[in-house]
Amino acid sequence: MSYIEKVKITNYKCFKEFSFELKKGMNIIVGNNESGKSTILEAIHLALSGLLNGKYLKNELSQYIFNKETEKNYLSSLKEGTPQPPPTISIEVFFDNNDFPEFEGNGSSDKEACGFLLKIDFNDEYNEDYEELIKTKKVATIPIEYYKITWISFARENISIKSIPIKSVLIDSASTRFQNGSDVYISKIIKDDLTVKESVELSQAYRKTKESFMEEESIKMINEKVTKNAGFSTKKIEISIDLSPKNSWENALMTYFDDIPFHQIGKGEQCLIKTNLALAHEKTKGSNLILMEEPENHLSHTKLNQFIKNIEDKLKDKQIIITTHSNFIANKLGLKNLILLNDKKAVAFASLEKETKETKETYEYFKKLPGYDTLRMILCKKAILVEGRSDELIIQRAFMDKNEGMLPIEKEIDVISVEGLAFERFLYIAKMIKKSVAVVTDNDKNYNKKIEDKYTKYKQYPSIEIFADERNEFHTLELQIADANKENLKLLCDVLKIDSNKQTEESIADYMKRNKTKCALNIFDAKEKILYPEYISKAIDWCK
Amino acid sequence: MNNNKLIIAAAGSGKTTLLINKAMEIKNGKVLFTTYTDNNAGEIKQKFISEYKYIPKFITIQTWFSFLIKHGAKPYQGSYNEQMFGYDIKGLKLVNEKSGYKIDKNDKPIIVNKHRLYWPEQDIKKHFFDIRDRIFSDKLSKFVFKANKSSDNKVINRIARIYTHIFIDEAQDLAGYDLEIVKLLLNTNSTIILVADPRQTTYSTHQESKYKKYADGKIKDFFLEKCKKLIDIDEDSLEVSYRNNQEICNFSSALYPEFPKSKPWACCRDNTGTYNGVWLVQKKDVELYSYQDKYNSVILRWDKKKKSSNTLRPAFNFGESKGKTFEGVLIYPTKEMEKWIFDHRTELKNKTRAKFYVAITRAKYSAAIVVNDGVRINGSPDLKIWTPRK
Repeated sequence: MSYIEKVKITNYKCFKEFSFELKKGMNIIVGNNESGKSTILEAIHLALSGLLNGKYLKNELSQYIFNKETEKNYLSSLKEGTPQPPPTISIEVFFDNNDFPEFEGNGSSDKEACGFLLKIDFNDEYNEDYEELIKTKKVATIPIEYYKITWISFARENISIKSIPIKSVLIDSASTRFQNGSDVYISKIIKDDLTVKESVELSQAYRKTKESFMEEESIKMINEKVTKNAGFSTKKIEISIDLSPKNSWENALMTYFDDIPFHQIGKGEQCLIKTNLALAHEKTKGSNLILMEEPENHLSHTKLNQFIKNIEDKLKDKQIIITTHSNFIANKLGLKNLILLNDKKAVAFASLEKETKETKETYEYFKKLPGYDTLRMILCKKAILVEGRSDELIIQRAFMDKNEGMLPIEKEIDVISVEGLAFERFLYIAKMIKKSVAVVTDNDKNYNKKIEDKYTKYKQYPSIEIFADERNEFHTLELQIADANKENLKLLCDVLKIDSNKQTEESIADYMKRNKTKCALNIFDAKEKILYPEYISKAIDWCK
Repeated sequence: MNNNKLIIAAAGSGKTTLLINKAMEIKNGKVLFTTYTDNNAGEIKQKFISEYKYIPKFITIQTWFSFLIKHGAKPYQGSYNEQMFGYDIKGLKLVNEKSGYKIDKNDKPIIVNKHRLYWPEQDIKKHFFDIRDRIFSDKLSKFVFKANKSSDNKVINRIARIYTHIFIDEAQDLAGYDLEIVKLLLNTNSTIILVADPRQTTYSTHQESKYKKYADGKIKDFFLEKCKKLIDIDEDSLEVSYRNNQEICNFSSALYPEFPKSKPWACCRDNTGTYNGVWLVQKKDVELYSYQDKYNSVILRWDKKKKSSNTLRPAFNFGESKGKTFEGVLIYPTKEMEKWIFDHRTELKNKTRAKFYVAITRAKYSAAIVVNDGVRINGSPDLKIWTPRK
């Protein structure tokens, strides 16, 4: 079985330059909304099928599929007298192995490889027109009317979509219909599985049906009448069925499910049927790629379970890419299959396993964690890493106090308590995917060594911030809280539900240390607001 | 071994048909069927259709040049030289003289000491390509050879993994680096079968001096000397002409006395009607001949662009007609050819001899040669001067 090993996207929609690796079997892209998950599926499907939103790209080409920044750069380059050529979109698809020698060559951006690219670029034949356009100085958009769309193998040969050995099936939530209302993709799924012989038979049978319509006695009578009434003696006027190729069976035949037109049944059911049909495809040559967009959107929890089981059972020699922001799916389908996507950067989780010692440790660490925790960092907008459950509660409350009582998670900020001080494991992933992450931590009695030195390597990553107090004598959160509230120990004691009599900062801190969780819960639940240490306040401000 | 074979046989002996039949027998394979000229490639396609109604999917018919561009030059062009990675080879520039000479600003060749100056190989773009990014036909196979070498044989390996069988028709036209490429292919797992008629070496598009000694129909010597262990040479299995009748066989064999005589197949032999054979038609009779000619003879001449007295007939130049079969032909010979007709001891250039041979052997029944008025034949039994019927 052959599969797609890598995809490189340039200047397409939100991706200016984007490259990511895929593996055989299951691939799960996890990312927050707007991270470009659907665009990845769309781009792959476009490269493999020529279809964008169920329609042929050649009819759908618009400047909106270009990367905004690229377009801006191009247009301003013209204005500023430093003209650049019209931008090019390319989607490169790399195959894994040697099954397709025709696709081998050194025409890829990686030089030697096996695969092809979809290229949307300026057509040189319009050089003259372009020259005129530039002279008008009124170029407001990318001049897509002078663009061409080509598929080129890495052997630098123009190819047709038909010759691409991997066919893709897109199962998404949007529905795209033919003129007659039938679903584009269900027809494609069925069509892709037909042998050449079957598809010839199907179109022949369809043709015959049309012809036999004309043979009907009643139709003949009607046509005779029409001809007679039209008043021509030698020429016929007839009603007939459109036999032109554009009216082929795909446009006219409809798929039914238990006598109900396919597009009328529930979305969830549609999704299951399409997936099953796609999984059942047996192509002797070439293979199939299933692209599935957020299956959690239209499947209930039980259906989701059934769906996942189905995929696992039948996947065997197929490749599938699922996008999701559901912890449940990502967790169920396995951490090793995850591709983390954030800010147009993708990291395959499994790739960590083979790289350096550091990545290996990171991989091992997350493999042991419940998958849920790993994904929290990926799926939120910003994450705050803390040292334990009690710290987590206090940060949550500190956040609420500054945000009209809203929980951090309501603003897509996740406070994650990291056991055993494994901050660096999280930070490792954060820096790879450019995730905004803050660490809120104690200074362990030695700010210079435990904070400055330890975290100095993250200073070059602006998305990572470390919050800790420089004063070595305040080396625990409890000491810090007592210190922050030293002007009003009475209030703090009330919140902690202890007698404020004869209490000092030290004694309160001591009590808190002995009753960590209880104290944290009390602070979290209290009506009154306590004061927070400066480094925590700063961390809360960072969230904005 | 992998059954590599070079089959040498005369015109009309069914070389192409043999390859077609062999191709159709192949199960589980992919076949590249290649030949030098577009015309012959078209001829091969036509033969497939008339024999088998269609060209099966596993068979690709392509001219040698397009094959070399598609599978030889483009896939690993970047290996040959860094600047070739993003270069767009826009096709072939057919040349009849040594390509890549330097020109002045009026596009005229620069001449120093009566010689043109040529771009050296280091100036890749000017050495191999014309101004419109087309690769010169005389250097294409050299480019392929070099790209293969610098890519560590990847070009050839890729081809061998695509095609289990490579059939080369009219292999006598291969020259220079073409031969190197064939030799490399012989070393792969693919089965290579070449058919050739050394008598029909009409093309010499290669100006490179490489392997000059194997030019002009010496292709057999190349294989004997350079890769004897990789290929069997078969000169016997096709010795009968299915195309030409006795008189045509005799006449054409006389052009190459050193080769075995071509024998007409039984059915051609029977067909010796009044109109058949080799005719000399005097210029003054050409019009009448054409009028009375029952075979609608096709005109064959050195250069079809030259004005013909008979513009209504289809015309080909000699080289172009290779691989084709016609019932009758009307040949406009060159001066040397005409001399030779009357005196076989006349010196003929290799190319001229080959073209004349090709022209004569196109005809199934009747080959008419246009000669000057008033010629005489002195006891030459195979020649007849055509006289109009009343």
